[in-house]
Amino acid sequence: MKVRVKAFARFREILGSDLSIEVPDGATMAAVLAALRDRAGGEGDAIFDETGALRAHVILMRNGRRVNRNNLDTLAEGDEVAIFPPVAGG
Amino acid sequence: MIDITRDVIDAGVMIEAAKRPGMGALATFCGVVRDDDGVERIELEAYEDVAVRELETIRDEAMREFPIESVDIVHRVGSLRVGETILLVIVGAGHRKEAFAASEYIIDRLKQTVPIWKKEFYRDGERWVPGESMDWMSSRSG
Repeated sequence: MKVRVKAFARFREILGSDLSIEVPDGATMAAVLAALRDRAGGEGDAIFDETGALRAHVILMRNGRRVNRNNLDTLAEGDEVAIFPPVAGG
Repeated sequence: MIDITRDVIDAGVMIEAAKRPGMGALATFCGVVRDDDGVERIELEAYEDVAVRELETIRDEAMREFPIESVDIVHRVGSLRVGETILLVIVGAGHRKEAFAASEYIIDRLKQTVPIWKKEFYRDGERWVPGESMDWMSSRSG
């Protein structure tokens, strides 16, 4: 199934702004993060630490609601995942 | 009005539009691009759907917490030069104290929770402005 991923600010420059990622049916956020890690490659230091885990400040959303990085909920076809650094508006 | 816009913000027009007969005070906060260390322009981007929803939530909280009559928040995105308005917050109230207090509450919340980012451009480089942590959103969403 396909999941849409939106990245913002520094992460957009690394990953692209609006991606469609193929994950297996029944996949969780972990599968999306693994795909993003592969995509980021050597540029991924801003997002992932040396063990491949998300850095502490990284924020994830699923369909506009913040989710924990270890969330085990099953994703659905067409879900929108967002990944971004701390906000800096105003 | 709550809005994320690519258009120039006209503070005078917005203040006039916000006025109601019961208001004796309109407190206006205007955030502006500053020329820190040779900044020439900035670029702002937003996760627009979520940013608008968060701004609406902040407006609703301010209306609950303070005895005020109105809240307008407009935030620019796109490329802005030094001196251009990034953000306009207008709080209408009967009296000044609650208008000032509510406008400070709104801008503090906005900086914590609304998904907007800014990049500064200098003559010889660029950098993303470090952000705040969204702690409040994380505690709210469970």
